[in-house]
Amino acid sequence: MLQSFFEWMQGLPFSAWMLEETWASPIIQCAHLVALVGFAGAVLVVDMRLLGRGLIKTPLNQLARELDRWMIWSFVALFVTGAPQVLSTALKQYYSPFFWWKMQIIVIGLLFNFTIRRRVALAEEGTLGHWPKVVGFLSIGIWTSVSVYARLIGLLS
Amino acid sequence: MRSLFEWVDALPSSIALRESLNAYPTMLTIHVVSMCLFAGLIAYWDMRLIGFTLRKVPVSNIPTRLFPWALTGYGINLITGALLLYSQPMRYYGNFYFWAKMALMLVAGINMFWFHYATYKSVQAWDQGREIPLNARLAGVVSLVLWAAVVVTGRMMAYSGLMPGWWNNLNIGA
Repeated sequence: MLQSFFEWMQGLPFSAWMLEETWASPIIQCAHLVALVGFAGAVLVVDMRLLGRGLIKTPLNQLARELDRWMIWSFVALFVTGAPQVLSTALKQYYSPFFWWKMQIIVIGLLFNFTIRRRVALAEEGTLGHWPKVVGFLSIGIWTSVSVYARLIGLLS
Repeated sequence: MRSLFEWVDALPSSIALRESLNAYPTMLTIHVVSMCLFAGLIAYWDMRLIGFTLRKVPVSNIPTRLFPWALTGYGINLITGALLLYSQPMRYYGNFYFWAKMALMLVAGINMFWFHYATYKSVQAWDQGREIPLNARLAGVVSLVLWAAVVVTGRMMAYSGLMPGWWNNLNIGA
């Protein structure tokens, strides 16, 4: 069933247009990479603060609140620029283990971010012991894995 | 310049890297991850200067607290970038986007040094809660645009078939 869904995506006129239009894929890939930089920065500034590094003179909850919208909007940009790439190379993605690992880790990352990470980042500082460090470390690990698998889809699939 | 690239291309260590199955994916992946560390942090520094975000963070806090991390990312990025070039010099020699990326990095570096040694010296006067001088905001905009262009040209290096016509007419890679 999933395979036929991917075959359907690959057969869409938009997918054909993406493959035929010379500049469509490069422009979208470049925009995806710029959005990735925006996302990575927003995540890293807060994660480093969770680890007790970076902007330690600024309250953690203040940083987290301010960078949350940058993270969300960068993620929206990543999704908007990522979806056309999946559509146009749907079968390549379907047969790539890295694509599925990437998707699974993105789901884990989003759930982790909007539940545990957000709660820890917005909590009163000094009340959670070592948990902020654990959360910051896990968050960096999760999003690093996503970018590694994303890169490997193109290189090894 | 061409003979230098050809000389590197023929070195046994360059050939070994080029022919290794794992070297290229490994180097490129580390290059992208370290780019996230460097460019991600620099982007928010630039946006702080422009006044887009982190307005409650004193400007002087960012170079002291975030730059060591950004520079670590930059160092790893430079090393992996140099290795990628070392492994396939002739692939990049005729590539317009490679030279555009190098030129943009040079200009971004000049902008960074100019800002650090000129505008940033008066940071105590506009560190927090005061309007950032136009020079500093301008440096932030220039830096943000230049580093975004570096990222874009870096990605475009894979598209050797999409180089400008005038560049192709120069026959540099032939």
